[in-house]
Amino acid sequence: MKKKTTENAYKAPLFDRIIKPRTITLPNGHTVQKPVSRTPFIAVIVLAVIYISAKVTGFDFGIIIKRGNQLGYILGRIFHPNWSYFGGDAANTSKLFSALFDTIKMSIMGSVIGATLALPIAVLSSTNINKTGAVVWALRILLMIIRTLPTLIIAKFAALIFGLGTFAGTIAIIVFTFGIVAKMMYESIETIDMGAFEATESFGANKFQAFWSACMPQILPTYLSYCLYSLEMNIRAAAILGYVGAGGLGILINEFIGWRDYESLGAVLLALFVVVFIIENTSQYLRKKLS
Amino acid sequence: MIEFKHVDKVYPNGVKGLKDINLTIDQGEFVAIIGLSGAGKSTLIRTINRMIDVTGGQLIVDGTDVMTLKGRAMRRYRRKIGMIFQSYNLVTRATAIKNVLTSMVPDMNFFRVLLGLFTKEQKMHALEALDKVGILDKAYTRCDQLSGGQQQRVSLARTLNQSPTIILADEPVAALDPITAKQVMSDFKRINEEMNITVLINIHHVDLALTYCTRVIGIRAGEIVYDGPTTSVTQEILDDIYNGATIPTAEK
Amino acid sequence: MAKTKSLLTNDRPLTIEEAYNARPQLWWLYTLIVLIVAALLGWSGTSITYKGLATKGLTIAQGIGNGLLHPDTNLLFNLTNEGVPYQLLQTVAIAVLGTIIGGILAIPFSFLACDKIVPKPVAVVFRAIILGIRTIPSLVWALVWIRVTGPNAFCGVVTESVCSIGMICKMYITAIEDIDTKILESLDASGCNGFQKIRYGILPQIIPNFISTVIYRFDINVKDATTLGIVGAGGIGAALIQCMNSSRWSMVGAYLCGMIVLMILIEMFSTKVRAKLARG
Repeated sequence: MKKKTTENAYKAPLFDRIIKPRTITLPNGHTVQKPVSRTPFIAVIVLAVIYISAKVTGFDFGIIIKRGNQLGYILGRIFHPNWSYFGGDAANTSKLFSALFDTIKMSIMGSVIGATLALPIAVLSSTNINKTGAVVWALRILLMIIRTLPTLIIAKFAALIFGLGTFAGTIAIIVFTFGIVAKMMYESIETIDMGAFEATESFGANKFQAFWSACMPQILPTYLSYCLYSLEMNIRAAAILGYVGAGGLGILINEFIGWRDYESLGAVLLALFVVVFIIENTSQYLRKKLS
Repeated sequence: MIEFKHVDKVYPNGVKGLKDINLTIDQGEFVAIIGLSGAGKSTLIRTINRMIDVTGGQLIVDGTDVMTLKGRAMRRYRRKIGMIFQSYNLVTRATAIKNVLTSMVPDMNFFRVLLGLFTKEQKMHALEALDKVGILDKAYTRCDQLSGGQQQRVSLARTLNQSPTIILADEPVAALDPITAKQVMSDFKRINEEMNITVLINIHHVDLALTYCTRVIGIRAGEIVYDGPTTSVTQEILDDIYNGATIPTAEK
Repeated sequence: MAKTKSLLTNDRPLTIEEAYNARPQLWWLYTLIVLIVAALLGWSGTSITYKGLATKGLTIAQGIGNGLLHPDTNLLFNLTNEGVPYQLLQTVAIAVLGTIIGGILAIPFSFLACDKIVPKPVAVVFRAIILGIRTIPSLVWALVWIRVTGPNAFCGVVTESVCSIGMICKMYITAIEDIDTKILESLDASGCNGFQKIRYGILPQIIPNFISTVIYRFDINVKDATTLGIVGAGGIGAALIQCMNSSRWSMVGAYLCGMIVLMILIEMFSTKVRAKLARG
């Protein structure tokens, strides 16, 4: 094997090696290297990307001006929600509220299970605790793949396998929460102070005992805070899962848009808005307490 | 020449910042202003470029009655006076030269300002300013990658770039370690001597003040309690300026 | 047993037993939290029941597994409009335009919602508007916009633009609140007027933050755009759902593989560019 030559010298960025910096000489003979500006190159690339994107998507601003009143009309109806869903009509009310509660239940259940599963995986994917590099990277790649799958697609799969209903929705929320909490957790586990862990190991604890007694107290507040954060996101996510048959408000949303019953859609969105508002504020209050 | 004639400053909340200040500073002096925190050092310095308005008396700089200036005239007046801050006040995300160039902005027309178009002469001038403080090689480096001392030098270069006749420095070395502080102080000294720029410096480190400055002004509770050459400052005088408190510095 | 827990009444040091008795008693708090969580879980469990697999559940699960392991390579490298590359290109194009337009629309909103700049009542009104926009799920926006633009990729662009506003605004506002105003002081001292202070004191500080926010949101928008197709707003989702409904698992596998690779590449790109913006 050839030994690598020592490269202690400062290595210029790739760009500066391709396009050499200009040398400026001051009147007193001193010189300075000026790297060529990146801005024009970046601007050309960005403009090209925008142009291609506009072509591919058939960008047509005119249609918004021409048919924009349609949006105003629909939004106008959404903003006059059908109040019979809030106690005016018993059947409607129970329909809305059972869907709403299903959504909340799916997100609570999904968040708790997903976050619980995420913790051991996060610990195993932290380089400072798990020294087996292969395991760490395998888990991280797995987590990365899980995070790329959109929740709706997972819900669709779950609905195909487990049948329509809240169970499928809960599975989708579990997978989504698992992916995101595990990632955020291993990132924060890697920043903790390992001194206490070493000390605990030094008086004979095994890795699990050392982690549980020395690291857990450090990461617990962060962990709980991430759980609450994922609950916030999950409420929104769960609201549309019904669209692919996974239970909750999405079923109603699908129905009302299909019937063009925008007043009823408005009622659904209003209910969702109130729930999101309450959960976000409660969660943010609790998270502030935790930190 | 800077002349204070019976200058008073009363803050809106009734606190008296300056009381009957009479002072004359000639072109090319290197003056240290010392005193306890809250004694009025910053207030004194900031009245000179009207960052703070005085409430009584007269302040004359190079024949201009500073308190009569308004709007455009005041901004033009400020061009002649450079100011250095303890916290450098740089745009840390921009390169050193971009920061230096900002001091040219008030003299440029609207479109050049908007688009950030600087002429070649302006850029060369900025590079020369960076060269004068010895960090020419960092010209195209972002300021958040520079050390504290280097950042303070960028801010010094920015001030030099506006070709001032007076430089006001508000605690310029307070955030720096002792070695770097000395380097920055000697930069000030060199600029003062080579370019005949008046330098007024607020400083907590008495030993640095005594080493580099030619004149010391001691302030206590808004009043000048000492004004004289560095050479005649004694321990008694320092004790008096600092209200008899022990001074935590090296002796002499 | 001595009941006193106060240090003041005793001159002698505490005995071990007394110290033990004086320990902070938080068990009731922990019990309460556990009870609340247990109650919430119990309530949640009431309507989530496992009813066994769907009639063809197992075959479908097998099919999905098979499809992912043996994607339709023909489709994966097919360069027509049906092929994976074009579908991905369209998805990214929707996200690009949606993010850029959203990023621009968010600028006035975020300044108007920042109570450091406008009076408090104005800021509160705009914050409420932003929250309202954010609450409506992107799928609903897409379904509403379809009535305006028709079912095409442009609908996706408009939807993404609107949906991005909420989160982008939130992050813009933080950037605006974090502006270092001391720089303005030094510009003031060198004789700059108001416009010059904004151009050289504020813009250089917020523009990198704004760009970083937009790139971060781009990441999310690509993921979002993959599902917009479900309602007919362009992108890869439409083809994917069609294949899923007709159980063509190797095609599903091809679309999913393409999506996973794309998302990973974009996440890497976005992380790298944002690190560059933050550290230079």
